[in-house]
Amino acid sequence: MASALKAAALRHIRVPVSPTLPLNGSRLNLCGTVRSMSSHGDDHLTKEEVIDRVIDVLKSFPKVDSTKVTPEVHFHKDLGLDSLDTVEIVMALEEEFKLEIPDKEADKIDSCSLAIEYIYNHPMAG
Amino acid sequence: MASAVPPPRRSEVLSLFRSLLRTAREFADYNIREYTKRRTIDAFRQNRDLSDPSAVSAAFSDGKSQLEVARRQAIVYSLYAPKVKSVMEIKH
Repeated sequence: MASALKAAALRHIRVPVSPTLPLNGSRLNLCGTVRSMSSHGDDHLTKEEVIDRVIDVLKSFPKVDSTKVTPEVHFHKDLGLDSLDTVEIVMALEEEFKLEIPDKEADKIDSCSLAIEYIYNHPMAG
Repeated sequence: MASAVPPPRRSEVLSLFRSLLRTAREFADYNIREYTKRRTIDAFRQNRDLSDPSAVSAAFSDGKSQLEVARRQAIVYSLYAPKVKSVMEIKH
């Protein structure tokens, strides 16, 4: 008797799965409710966001002339920065995007486009 | 008389620079972190145009010992990290 009451009560409390979920077959209903709450799709940064934030970091560097900063600018050739400045900029980019760039990769980054490319392709960029 | 130490290669100098800046990030205290960064940048920039190999080697080994000091201090300071963040670290 008690179990019948319990079952009836539970039937009222249990949230019915919405039939409007675009899933095939009622077997997948449970997976559907779990999936709709995750935001895996928009985990990664968009290219525009990466470009904007990289440009901002570059412009806030005191030695850089902000009028010359474009997404294709080269640190040494266009902005006249030396290798110490480049290391500083790469460190600032690491802090901005919460990354740890290994030395071998960091040495190759010597232009804005390479930096954008590397950060955009990094799975952990945040 | 000590034998001449070969001067460090460019990549080694940049690697030391990067290591010092990375160690600076480990400090919890804003002031020490900023000081370490500032001092590294200023010192490397000041010694940028050294040409005499023995002077370059001396500056490089000085930098390496400072790196060791900074690494030890980062560990010691982390044991007594300030509970309150500096006002400079509050983002607006």
